[in-house]
Amino acid sequence: MTEAAEPDFDVIVIGAGIAGAITAYQLATQGRSVVLIERGEAPGAKNLSGGVLYCRGMQEVFPDFLTEAPVERRITRNYINFLNADSSIGIDYKDTRLSDPVNAVTVLRAKLDPWLAEKCEEAGVFLMPGVRVDKVLTEDGPTGKRVVGVKAGDDELRAHVVVAADGVNSFISQEVGLRTKEPLNHLAIGVKCVVNLPRETIEARFSVTGDEGAAFAIVGDCTQGIGGGGFMYTNTESISVGVVLRLDDLTAKNKSTTDILDYFLAHPFIAPYLEGGEVVEYGCHLVAEGGLAMLGEISMDGLVVVGDAAGLTLNTGLTVRGMDLAVASGVAAAKGIGAALDSKDTSKVGLAGYREALFASYAGKDMETYAKAPAFLETERMYKEYGELIGNVLYGVFNLDNSPREHLLKVAMKAFKKSPVKIKHLIKDGLAGVRAL
Amino acid sequence: MKIVVAYKWASNPQDATVGAQGTVDWSRAKPGFSEYDPVAAELARRLADATGGEVIGLTVGTKRVDATLARKAALSRGFDRAVIVADDSLEGAGSTQLAAVLAAAVRHIGDVDLVITGDSSVDVGSKMVPTVLAGQLGWPAVAEVISITGQAGALRVERAVPTGTQVLEITGPVVLAASTDAAVARVPGMKDILAAGKKPVESLDLAALDIPAAAGTTTVTGTSRPDLLTRKGQMIDASDPAAAAAELVAALRGAGAL
Repeated sequence: MTEAAEPDFDVIVIGAGIAGAITAYQLATQGRSVVLIERGEAPGAKNLSGGVLYCRGMQEVFPDFLTEAPVERRITRNYINFLNADSSIGIDYKDTRLSDPVNAVTVLRAKLDPWLAEKCEEAGVFLMPGVRVDKVLTEDGPTGKRVVGVKAGDDELRAHVVVAADGVNSFISQEVGLRTKEPLNHLAIGVKCVVNLPRETIEARFSVTGDEGAAFAIVGDCTQGIGGGGFMYTNTESISVGVVLRLDDLTAKNKSTTDILDYFLAHPFIAPYLEGGEVVEYGCHLVAEGGLAMLGEISMDGLVVVGDAAGLTLNTGLTVRGMDLAVASGVAAAKGIGAALDSKDTSKVGLAGYREALFASYAGKDMETYAKAPAFLETERMYKEYGELIGNVLYGVFNLDNSPREHLLKVAMKAFKKSPVKIKHLIKDGLAGVRAL
Repeated sequence: MKIVVAYKWASNPQDATVGAQGTVDWSRAKPGFSEYDPVAAELARRLADATGGEVIGLTVGTKRVDATLARKAALSRGFDRAVIVADDSLEGAGSTQLAAVLAAAVRHIGDVDLVITGDSSVDVGSKMVPTVLAGQLGWPAVAEVISITGQAGALRVERAVPTGTQVLEITGPVVLAASTDAAVARVPGMKDILAAGKKPVESLDLAALDIPAAAGTTTVTGTSRPDLLTRKGQMIDASDPAAAAAELVAALRGAGAL
């Protein structure tokens, strides 16, 4: 394919988050010339705190990731919790096998992103922070519109391939028509805060030692019945805690995010973990929750989309994933782009290796496996009735109020009759859950 | 004309937190090109372009001022080259010491006609460095500068004074501190940042610089928060807007605010 002007770089990557940085790093190690453009004054500057990173994919890119990168704690304890207004039912899963080999770590993006950017610079990537890309440059090619570069202010840069790694609200992929505005049920809003506490306090409260950490997944009263969930995980000297709320449900129920977060933080189950801590960070961020349905076209002539921008997030109810998928998409994109550059065909056809590599990776396969999860997680009963039902059954068992005891089955049936949940719901949701997760 | 812009790669207080005891935690604050320094860089670039001169960015500090990100951020501001003194022994250095190192670097660069600085640094804000630097060099210093024109050895400098503005003619080398609004600095574009990656940078060894020993030392032994203003907390019932407005005006008059 012929191009009008000599490109300034082989590849321009827009956005120095995980997906963008990994794409840039991998391409630079192939010997390509890469510029990594970041809107923030420095990578990580625009990023809200962090999260749990399932780190195996990252270790394939950086074998010494766990010892070299700024990771907070290694997650060895997963706590799954149904929260009601006055009761809480949890599954406490702690496993030493999760620490050897390490499977998940908590990270703070304000530290991780600068580290990734540094790795990129060492590999030869030209890092360009403080630049907001206004639009992509396109030209009409033989197979339609082709992306040839980017424009920021008065300046233009040209490249063989542009990578849109500009996050969940990817303006770039909307601009070129790869995506339309997401329907609200594909989007959620995450509201979180970071609470500082001494490390000994965190270790005592979460019963972990050393650099071990805990991750809590919570459904029910934490969101006051709104589709979504609560989370809480330990960093080295702070706790990240917050809620993720499905936008369509939040709008329909007309509630405010701050009220819900405040209620959650003050909940008798949560508050003791945070007591005495100081809120050092507070913010909110859009989260893509559409799963496979949201992953549409991820390439066109001269452009690929990676990470959150491509809709690569996965909420299975138990694990919320985005960063590991961002890594996988960066690796796959670099592979596809490398092949396209070698064959001198950076059209959509030439870039097809990206999609192939993505779907051959754990990221693509897991997106397919959990394709039905988003619809399942929209089930209303998940967020209110089921938790209350289990709570009432257990109350019947443990509340020895001098009334004669009844068999568990009878207690359960009584609670069940009081609950708005019907047998058909139980069967329907149970089957859907088994199929989706 | 050879113009040096002394800039600071400073922590942004936006992300610093002040503890109850008045201690400041800078650990979360990110470093950047100090807030008022782009104005100095802009004035220097305009003067150099008008006179065919050269602009040299100069900074001193710990190793972090010599990071790739810091170098590019500075060089994209219109400098032709940069001179950097990066040494971790400068951690926590005060205004007097930093100015002494800057002066030594200016002497090292040689034949400098003019040093321009920002109004003050965003992290410390002592407003002392330009004058101490001038003192070290034996040059005059002028603060609150709003415009610089003319030639080397015959500069015409306009500065803000409480009664208005003042125009100065300056014959020798001088240190000028720009007022915060002397110019609207250009935001570096992609081409500026690309070009910055190719500009020469000279790293000076702190130990090799000729810095006169200080006669004494200064140590911070305590910090405290500024006294909080006590507020009256006076509430005005606004159910009758006209009465509320009258009461507000009366209260403001009473307090001497009107």
